[in-house]
Amino acid sequence: MTFLDWGYILDALPDLFRGLGMTLMVSALAILFSLTLGLIGCALRRSRFKPAGYAVAAYVEFIRGTPYLVQIFFVFYGLPSLGLTLSIFWSGVLALTLWASAFHIESFRAGLSSVSKDIHNASSSLGLRPWHHGLFVVLPIALRSALPSTLNTVVGTIKNSAYLQAIGLVELTFVAVDRIAQEFRSVEMFLSICVIYLVVILGISALGHRLEKRLNRPYAAR
Amino acid sequence: MDLLYEYRVFLLAGLLETLKMSLVVALGGTLCAIVLTFGVTSKPTLLRRVSFGLMELLRDLPLMVTVLLVYFMLPAAGVSLNPFWSCCAAISVWGGANGAQILRAGLASVGNGQRETAAAFGFGPLKALLLITLPQAMPVIIPPYVGLLTALVQATSLGSVVGAQELLRSGQVLIEQTTIMRGGSPAYLVYGSILVVYFTLCTLISAIGGRIERHFLRPYASGAEVGAKAHAIEATIPTSA
Repeated sequence: MTFLDWGYILDALPDLFRGLGMTLMVSALAILFSLTLGLIGCALRRSRFKPAGYAVAAYVEFIRGTPYLVQIFFVFYGLPSLGLTLSIFWSGVLALTLWASAFHIESFRAGLSSVSKDIHNASSSLGLRPWHHGLFVVLPIALRSALPSTLNTVVGTIKNSAYLQAIGLVELTFVAVDRIAQEFRSVEMFLSICVIYLVVILGISALGHRLEKRLNRPYAAR
Repeated sequence: MDLLYEYRVFLLAGLLETLKMSLVVALGGTLCAIVLTFGVTSKPTLLRRVSFGLMELLRDLPLMVTVLLVYFMLPAAGVSLNPFWSCCAAISVWGGANGAQILRAGLASVGNGQRETAAAFGFGPLKALLLITLPQAMPVIIPPYVGLLTALVQATSLGSVVGAQELLRSGQVLIEQTTIMRGGSPAYLVYGSILVVYFTLCTLISAIGGRIERHFLRPYASGAEVGAKAHAIEATIPTSA
């Protein structure tokens, strides 16, 4: 027997790609929901209604200060006794969303606070209305400065979807570990999932960098 | 709450194991980070490229995959480690890769003129690094590094996946036992309390990190520029696991 059994990898590919499909599905939903929640959370964080701001700040600190794996277990095993029973899939989406939105709130907040106050004066001297100022002046600058950490969280969402194998979601890592437990071909399986994860993660990072370059074009001349 | 008090010895043993793991991965991760930083900043092209490739590989793979990979593959390579050390090894190399990214970027944030001036004064490379570059890089390095340390502490919870008897694993065992013996799952209580314990631990680390950061910031009139550099590095590493 050779060191690597390519035939075995080939046989396992359909299973692995089904797992990858699940990984991408969970991640895509979580990215979508967490970006939305991130924007809402950031708006609340900066609102004049102070208690909401404090609550969001506490939420962000708590999620950032606790292990993601324990959060998953709390959502999947703990919430049912508090009256919320979700399937494995939706528990996974919820846990990923809760985790990622905390980081998005923080990046958006940092992005907004990076916009200098002088710009506000410049806008009002140009006669821009407050919502024009917010939408067309502050938001484009804030989004660009929040982009690197937002991309880091988006990629992190895909990476962290691998944790969901711990509650039995049949995603890429689960498929590999499950096969290893039955057939002990750990070299083949780990090589395969490492390559698949790298392709997906590097691909999405590269797309993100292109987006970053494209968006920064108006500012590149300086 | 009575349940937690009743099994306090069992849970505290788990917490102690978590603290031991945290200490090991903090030290091991830092050691790996220093070695990798020397690798990625070294002159020989091959060594530099291999270190860089290793760093990027470890940073891009999910930590869960790294932990499982080390756990399943080391025996195949003829090294047998118990779950505790296998998990510590995996988290350490992961932390090392991210730590190297912080150290590399932090050292690069110090202007080249500083290094040249040090050389002009007859400082050797090591002396220049320790006495000139590193002290100036510290305020940029510390904030993301403290973030990484909290991530490392959180990452020790992955020990439960490979069977190390740390806090999360103890919690799981406790939940299984009480569900079987008494009926009704205390999962929300146990996992909720574990969340609080980890949160306290990480808040403590951040607070201590904040003090160290202020110490290194003292020579600077304004921390704004330094803070922006530190923040830029922080955006490229995981500060939670």
